[in-house]
Amino acid sequence: MPDGSYAHPQQRQFNPYTENGGTILAIAGADFTVIAGDTRQSEGYSIQTRYAPKVFRLTDRAVLAVNGFAADGNMFVKKVKQRLEWYRHAHAKDMPLRAIARLIQTMLYAQRFFPYYVYNILGGIEEDGSGAVYSFDPVGSYEREACRAAGAAQSLVQPFLDNQIYFKNQQLPPGQTRPLHLSLSDVLSIVIDSFTSATERHIEVGDGLEIYVVLAKGRGPQGLEAVRGAQELTTNAEGDRVFIVRRELKKD
Amino acid sequence: MSIMEYNGGSVIAMVGKNCVAIASDLRLGVQSLGIASNFQKIFPVTDRIFVGLPGLATDVTTLHEQFRYRVNMYTIKEEREIEPETFAALVSSTLYERRFGPYFIEPVIAGMQRTPSGSYKPFIAATDLIGCLNFAKDFVVAGTASDKLFGVAEGLWEEDLGPEDLFETISQTMLNAVDRDTNSGWGVVVHLLTKDKVITRTLKGRMD
Amino acid sequence: MDISFALTGKGYVIVAADTTAAHSIIKVKLDEDKIKTLSPHLLMAYTGEPGDTVQFAEYIERNIRLYQIRNIYALRPPSAASWIRRSLADSLRSRKPYSVNLLLGGYDTSTHTPHLYWIDYLGTLASVPFAAHGYGSYFALSLLDRYHDPEASLEEGLATLRRCIDEVSKRLIVSPGKYKVKVVDKDGVRELDF
Repeated sequence: MPDGSYAHPQQRQFNPYTENGGTILAIAGADFTVIAGDTRQSEGYSIQTRYAPKVFRLTDRAVLAVNGFAADGNMFVKKVKQRLEWYRHAHAKDMPLRAIARLIQTMLYAQRFFPYYVYNILGGIEEDGSGAVYSFDPVGSYEREACRAAGAAQSLVQPFLDNQIYFKNQQLPPGQTRPLHLSLSDVLSIVIDSFTSATERHIEVGDGLEIYVVLAKGRGPQGLEAVRGAQELTTNAEGDRVFIVRRELKKD
Repeated sequence: MSIMEYNGGSVIAMVGKNCVAIASDLRLGVQSLGIASNFQKIFPVTDRIFVGLPGLATDVTTLHEQFRYRVNMYTIKEEREIEPETFAALVSSTLYERRFGPYFIEPVIAGMQRTPSGSYKPFIAATDLIGCLNFAKDFVVAGTASDKLFGVAEGLWEEDLGPEDLFETISQTMLNAVDRDTNSGWGVVVHLLTKDKVITRTLKGRMD
Repeated sequence: MDISFALTGKGYVIVAADTTAAHSIIKVKLDEDKIKTLSPHLLMAYTGEPGDTVQFAEYIERNIRLYQIRNIYALRPPSAASWIRRSLADSLRSRKPYSVNLLLGGYDTSTHTPHLYWIDYLGTLASVPFAAHGYGSYFALSLLDRYHDPEASLEEGLATLRRCIDEVSKRLIVSPGKYKVKVVDKDGVRELDF
């Protein structure tokens, strides 16, 4: 027992990390990107809140999803947003997506020996107008991909995405071809299905779902007009546009 | 190192309309080292029952032999074939006999159950390694890729699939789940049961 | 540190095992035969805990012999494999399990087919076209994936075995110097100069 004496060896330990559950997911299309996350925040078997956003709009063309240790996640997003604001003041424009990705790598690796305990997925529109997803590990290794799931239900969702987005293990009859990119409405259905599935089988996933949709400049809202309750978050209607769609998930 | 993950391997069973399907991978490994790509984990019990035994490979063989013996004894004594529900109870009690020194296997059972009216209805069940039964009405999974199987199956499965659609669903579920698991894979085998026939297909999959 | 390999070919099984008997870092014997002839068409290479290996191998040898005396005919390879596996599986859950790993190669004289079984101390049984135990497996299995041919002649099979042994000699720090190589086919068991 620590009693302040030097009679016997003592050990003290403080664990600065915890795991707050939840799952995030992003899928890139030809001229759009969808970034989603559930809103449950838990610690162990206790639910701390049913509404704690994990997905954040950074600019009109970039959205960041953060999963893992919520306190680190929120701090990290705050610092990324701050760096983006400085960039705006210095250059009078928003930082391009690929530059944000590299910035995130640098910021994560700066904490190499006391990392932010978070998995990041950055989604948005590149300067060439294509949809893009960047996924990171906690110390900044990153990669551009077409889709990625992370968090508590990654192991449930990722193989489903391999099948439905990359068409893994599906072969077409000879002569037939597949469209290079999926439509926005198909992607939204896959995202919602992924989260309802994860909610069904994983205790740390549920409560609410926030889906951000980033559309490339000049692209019409095809695929979004039929979606109930899509809300626009764009600040400058001339460029790329950001929308949010909210859905309920099971709360048990 | 977990004993349940020492040899690798996964099994899934699914219910369809007047049919059931059960599938497994074919890998036998010793941790990360692959030993064989022809290791069957699913065994026929009767013409209408299959049992999948993912887990420690030595117990796969031991339990298979144990179940074969007990089912034979049942058949001789009762002068009839065992029904899936009864077999599930046999599996459960066989495992619970070893409650404090278990076989490291999580069996999955699939079969067509005879109803009082003389027709057949699909039956699936799974147990943990000490025999706690789970009668699901959609699908059951077990093995090193179980979480991946849960995710994909929950996304792909729907009610009242016909035999060919059920085959496609279980095949896609298995292939995509084992491709994300290091300890499962190296080929997949699927058994499809209807009231009057069994179709067994070996699937071509990734060999890495 | 012992190493054993085996591979099947057209109508035969080759079984090879190193001949070193070691006590910690000391080689105490250089011509130990670790492959037993269980019956006229059955070979068993055994490796593992010193003491356990010979004790278990002799137990198996004598019981297989007893069966042959009682029944005139020897157990066929699949049945022998099954019985040996069960012996190890029962031993695993006993007070003092044998830690012995086996490669069982046999020729079935009634179906005219070669059989090879990989068996470990847990009682895991796998029927395989080629197999290895010990550190050798990390080198040999990939070579055998590339070069093994179930239809190969004995000469070709021995050439493939040579590749495995050479690779182990070249890359493994604790590589053994000598191997004993035996083959079983329709004519029974014989040892080869290698």
